[in-house]
Amino acid sequence: MNPLTHTNPPMAGHPLRLEALEGQLAQRLTAHLSSGAQALPHDITERLRFARERALASRRTVVAQEAAPVVVQAGRAAALGGPPALWLRLASAVPLVMLVAGLVFIQHHHDLQQIEAAAEIDSALLADDLPPAAYGDPGFSEFLRSGESP
Amino acid sequence: MASDKELSDCLKSVEKRAFKRTVYAVRDEDAALDIVQDAMIRLAEKYADRPAAELPLLFQRILSNATMDWFRRQKVRNAVLQNMSDFNMEGGDEFDLLESLETADGMLGAESAAETVSRSQILLLIEGQIEELPARQREAFLLRYWEEFDTAETAAVMGCSEGSVKTHCSRAVHALAKALRSKGIVP
Repeated sequence: MNPLTHTNPPMAGHPLRLEALEGQLAQRLTAHLSSGAQALPHDITERLRFARERALASRRTVVAQEAAPVVVQAGRAAALGGPPALWLRLASAVPLVMLVAGLVFIQHHHDLQQIEAAAEIDSALLADDLPPAAYGDPGFSEFLRSGESP
Repeated sequence: MASDKELSDCLKSVEKRAFKRTVYAVRDEDAALDIVQDAMIRLAEKYADRPAAELPLLFQRILSNATMDWFRRQKVRNAVLQNMSDFNMEGGDEFDLLESLETADGMLGAESAAETVSRSQILLLIEGQIEELPARQREAFLLRYWEEFDTAETAAVMGCSEGSVKTHCSRAVHALAKALRSKGIVP
């Protein structure tokens, strides 16, 4: 006789009873599944064993890498793993520093070129037979305009 | 932090069921082995610092995610979503279940079922019906009753509410009982 129905059963449609019956049936089904899982072919169990061993090997690698920073801080050598050391972080800023320095150099060089160009014009003016003050004379300006027109 | 032995024992205790659970989902033994291995490696690498008690639950969650990743890679997401659609229960299933259980009283473990169909054939039929379940129902059923997680743990693995787990489990059990009964199998 079904124990669930034998010992003072609640009403047939009671949710608790239904849940208990579902659990009972589920256990029967999973018992079959468990017997099937235990009887897996040898090649499957071997591949599962290999997968497990590979996972454990990966774990050992990860744990070893996590332990590496302790050695770095205690010793002088750079570690192959773990967080970057201070000098590495500084070294990573070198390209940025070089870029800024390059821009400053280009700007400075550009300014020098402009100064040199202005100096050449000044030199040409000073070296010319005509004194620079003549260009400020209204009469000379009128002379130049009349000379340009035919 | 779990030791190597604890992790190894944990994986050893779940690997066969994990493999079968994945086979039910993907229906491909080679793919299932790859998925289980991937889940094992993810657990070992990402959660190496977790206590041993947390590992089974974490592994099941990783396995579920790895299985979903496989489906995404296979570009059959639409088929998966279709399988996830709710199972339409008809009225009277409860009666079928009760009848099924009461008829089965005293038959568990007896050889009466083996008189007509061998035990391995029954297992194949059960596995076939489990494969036919919608994905969420199958996952809830296997986690709750095969892995023996409680409702809260199953909900945590599946990323849903406890109420949803109960609904999925109930529908799965009813669907299995009905399907197996229609084939003349009393589980």
